[in-house]
Amino acid sequence: MKLRNALVMIVAVVLTLSVGVATAQEMTKEQWQQEMNTLTQTRNDLQAKLKALDASISSLTSESNKLDGDYQSSLDALYALVGSDREKADAYRSELDAPEAKAADLMRLSDADLMARSSEVTDLDSKVKELWGNKLSLIPEFWDRLTALDTKVKSLKETLTKQVKVYTVGTWSKDRDCLWNISKKPDIYDNAWLWPRIWQGNRDQIKDPDIIHTGQMLKIPQGKEMNDAEKAAAKKYYHKVAARAAAAPAANPAEPAKK
Amino acid sequence: MLKCTRTVITIGMAFLFAGSLFLYGCSSSPDEQQLKALQTLKDETAQLEKEVKEKEVKKSDLEKNIAEKNAKIKKCAEDQAIVKQRLAK
Repeated sequence: MKLRNALVMIVAVVLTLSVGVATAQEMTKEQWQQEMNTLTQTRNDLQAKLKALDASISSLTSESNKLDGDYQSSLDALYALVGSDREKADAYRSELDAPEAKAADLMRLSDADLMARSSEVTDLDSKVKELWGNKLSLIPEFWDRLTALDTKVKSLKETLTKQVKVYTVGTWSKDRDCLWNISKKPDIYDNAWLWPRIWQGNRDQIKDPDIIHTGQMLKIPQGKEMNDAEKAAAKKYYHKVAARAAAAPAANPAEPAKK
Repeated sequence: MLKCTRTVITIGMAFLFAGSLFLYGCSSSPDEQQLKALQTLKDETAQLEKEVKEKEVKKSDLEKNIAEKNAKIKKCAEDQAIVKQRLAK
């Protein structure tokens, strides 16, 4: 009996509590109204903010478009100062890429490898000089790039100079100096067939390998192997000599002297 | 005596339960339509907040873009002055 009473009481208390909790969780009308008011205010503020932002964005977009036009006009005026235009400037910009890549490539080489490719340094130097000849080089963008290139070429040339031995050409009557004989000297290459190395290493002062002059200071590239450019130059020379000999069979072809 | 006590307790519990139900039934809570309106307003506000954030990002990007363009134009004017100087040499 007592157990039944206890059970009845527990059920009654649980029911009463659950009704109470349910009442507490529900929103009252006052709370609803308050929240509606707050949210309405927030929504109105946001709508106003959005409207202001749209206006700002529209104004900024117009300004941005106007600036695009202004920038293009400024660029045109800049290129016009050196008698050029955007297309030519773009082409010149691309033209600078190759020597820059070449300089970077040569800078990575070891001194010995650089020596073997010394003709490329000479070519690069000529190319940079040619690029300086264009009036577009006065524009700071290009000026800066060319200055950087100049610095690299200078450094490459210095590296080469440090490795190059210099030989002063003597007289034919006394020293019998020609490229063939110079190359044959024990303190040069000790191998006459390497004469194209001297020729290619001194292309700035030797146009025809058969003609060198007393007092000329010839750079003697290090290493006793010819690179591809030197081999090609030698091959071209021998073809030319063979053609000359064929055309004039009476001449004495024996002596490769006075190279 | 025991029977009397039990009856009193049972009646007391019944009153307590009935009272709670009365309280719950008589409290003024919003109806379903009002709750739906509240939810709609909440959704609308959330959507607006999202749009405002997006537009603020867009505005900021545009301002940055304009600053960059102004800098480029200024640089171009400086370049022109330098080129004129170099040409004069």
